[in-house]
Amino acid sequence: MNNIKFKGTTLTKLSFVGAVTFSFMCSSITSVNAGHHGNVYGPYPITEKSYKGTKKNSVSYGGQMARQLLHNSLKKLASTGSPSDPTLAPEKKMLAYLNTKDKSKSLPIMDPKNSSKFPVKQKMIGELSGGANLSGKADKRIQTSWPGNMSGVDVIKFMIKKAGKTKGGVDTRNGMNYPQLISKYTMGAVLYHQACDNYLDEKMTASSKPNNKPYKKGAYYTGKEHSWDEAFGYWGAAAHTMKLSAAQSYDVAKKKDLKAADYNKDGVVDLQTEMTYAHAYYASSYDKKGKTNYLKTVTGAFIDGRKLITAADGNKLSEAELNKIQDYVQIICSNWEDVIAESVFKYAGSVYKDLSKIEKALASGSGMDKAMSKYLKHWGELKGFAMALQAGPDNKSDTFNRMNRMMGFGPLMPNLSQVVGIDSSGNYIKDQGSSIGYYKLHMLKIQNLMADKYALKAKINDATGGMAALLEEVGTKKSAEND
Amino acid sequence: MEIFYQYLETISENFFDPKKRVFLGYLFSAFLISFMWLTFVKKEKIKQAVYKIFDKKIFMSKSAKADYILFLLNIIILMFLSPLLISQLAIAHFVFEYLHSQTFLTPLGIDINYMWMIPIFFTFCYFVLDDFTKYVTHALMHKVPLLWEIHKTHHSARTLTPLTIFRTHPIEGVIFVVRSALTQGIVIATFYYVYGGNITFVTILGANLFSFWFHLFGSNLRHSHIRINYWSWLEKIFISPAQHQIHHSIKKEHHNKNFGVAFAFWDYMFGSLYISKSDEDVKFGISETEHKYENNIIYLYLSPLIGIYKLIANYVSSKNLKVKKQKFIFNKQTR
Ligand SMILES: [Zn+2]
Ligand SMILES: [Zn+2]
Repeated sequence: MNNIKFKGTTLTKLSFVGAVTFSFMCSSITSVNAGHHGNVYGPYPITEKSYKGTKKNSVSYGGQMARQLLHNSLKKLASTGSPSDPTLAPEKKMLAYLNTKDKSKSLPIMDPKNSSKFPVKQKMIGELSGGANLSGKADKRIQTSWPGNMSGVDVIKFMIKKAGKTKGGVDTRNGMNYPQLISKYTMGAVLYHQACDNYLDEKMTASSKPNNKPYKKGAYYTGKEHSWDEAFGYWGAAAHTMKLSAAQSYDVAKKKDLKAADYNKDGVVDLQTEMTYAHAYYASSYDKKGKTNYLKTVTGAFIDGRKLITAADGNKLSEAELNKIQDYVQIICSNWEDVIAESVFKYAGSVYKDLSKIEKALASGSGMDKAMSKYLKHWGELKGFAMALQAGPDNKSDTFNRMNRMMGFGPLMPNLSQVVGIDSSGNYIKDQGSSIGYYKLHMLKIQNLMADKYALKAKINDATGGMAALLEEVGTKKSAEND
Repeated sequence: MEIFYQYLETISENFFDPKKRVFLGYLFSAFLISFMWLTFVKKEKIKQAVYKIFDKKIFMSKSAKADYILFLLNIIILMFLSPLLISQLAIAHFVFEYLHSQTFLTPLGIDINYMWMIPIFFTFCYFVLDDFTKYVTHALMHKVPLLWEIHKTHHSARTLTPLTIFRTHPIEGVIFVVRSALTQGIVIATFYYVYGGNITFVTILGANLFSFWFHLFGSNLRHSHIRINYWSWLEKIFISPAQHQIHHSIKKEHHNKNFGVAFAFWDYMFGSLYISKSDEDVKFGISETEHKYENNIIYLYLSPLIGIYKLIANYVSSKNLKVKKQKFIFNKQTR
């Protein structure tokens, strides 16, 4: 009797514990699943009805990742210029990374290169895509932000030509830092331009690249799926960005955090899905300071939009769905634009500070090599981002004209000379600029303009921010009082 | 509801924020100073001293009650007016940008060794310049007939308590807000420019170091019946409570004297200084005979408007240009 009773309670206890354990396991599995599918860009199922092959994942943006790496590599090469090389090897090499589609897998990835600290899966551009180059996708509109009335792609070629003949890529006479100019402008003229002025613009309308047809004949993804994926690729975020903090994404771009990068735990960083690039990197640099959330806002909108397209299951998107897509596009491109504007703001502040140092050096007669090299680097970044901002769909021509006028075509040099144009043989024309004080004032006004026209929150290097803080500290009078 | 909450916050801020004159800590220090003054210097008995400090006849006088009501009502009026006024930040930006286009004043390359001195220097300069613009504004409030009509409200007090500072017409409040914004904007922008942003205030409990001392050492006694005077040499440097009380006196020879707030040397420099005499009795107010309505709230709000109207009417009717000028712009007879 006793024995049976004992057995009975044991059984109930056991089944109770079993049930608890089982439900706990189930719930943890579902939560892992939800997390996995909810927060990572892909994999997404095949919905294209005409596709009869064996592929299971419709996500494809290898061409964009190839371009991210072409851009990275181009930036590295831009500092290899040599005035004494009659073969023009540096220029030719850069042009290869601008123009070549690496079908034969012969273009090595210059950055990130494989290392023990940060091992990478792919070594050649062609391993990501053999059908992508930068020049084919660069902005073809005439650029007023650069002298010579050239198209975007010609501006990049012009800069490359100059960089190839300039030692270290930095022209200290005219003040041009080509690695920065080429890199930042390419980010705008190719990456941002293609995403927001093409794939998320024309290709998200009802008539273009419909969802009930393959992107191109025989493709395993629909028109809308692939257009969306391409735009995401240009953004440059790792597929698992939502699982990382902004600081981790930043460190991934800096090749400092293998653990954060290697999401599938295969020991290497897959440059297709696990790396942070260009725009996403700049977004992370602002977000990690805590005032903004650009990276996850944009990446999240990309994921939500892709889910919506996937859910249409290979059918044409309804008007309501297209409108919802437009909402996501709005989030993506306005935040993306703000990230670039934050950079313009930040580097205008850097240039302001550098000029103060140069002013001091001029007054005291002390050396200014270090200050100058920083100044030219920051000016290159400022100019590059300012030009990039103008590569978007939104033509704020009034804002752009004012910004370009205040910045000029080149930095104001300590001898007050400044590039004002290009002659017919491609040489810079210079003129006497204003005073350093005036040029600094222009930097302040560029910061004001950015803060005025864009929803900036990070506002790094705010040249008047300290003044506002001091005024805050003394406070305002709120009562009528005599003394 | 939001506005009501904001209103209560502004009221309490006056008593709990060490940036404010009537912060409870300063009121307490004023009590301690007057207590010591009465017991040690004036040799009064403790009980008598306390009784005198908290004299009901003063704190509950008609005049003082009007001060309290004005305090509460003016906050509401300023809540609506302040946002319309030019902000200190806008002024600072304007000045800061202007400085970039001139060459007279250039940014200083600071020697790191002297860095520690800059905040103290900056804090001191700010306090001195702020005090100077207060002096100028106050002098103008007396010398310009139009402004005097407005400033009269403050001087109509028959008894002085620390809250008499709030016996101020809202138009004057607006003038002071603009003065304060101009001073802050100009001084801060100039220093920010010259020192390349490397400036900070030295503060105690969030208040400017020198304001803190000024208030701690009895700024609240300026508006009180405790007549504390300094040695005459010191009254040429700092305005004593007795000196500001003289400023409120109805006696003719006291008129247009001691406009200063913290420092007396502005008055000294411009010839408006009056050193206190210990045997001199001071009666507060504008005129010997009390005006029928001088503590009536509605009258307090309207009288400057009536006064200004009369001035203008007078100006328009008088034909002699010379008289016009005298009456309107600078009139030595005002006070
Ligand atoms: Zn007074
Ligand atoms: Zn007065």
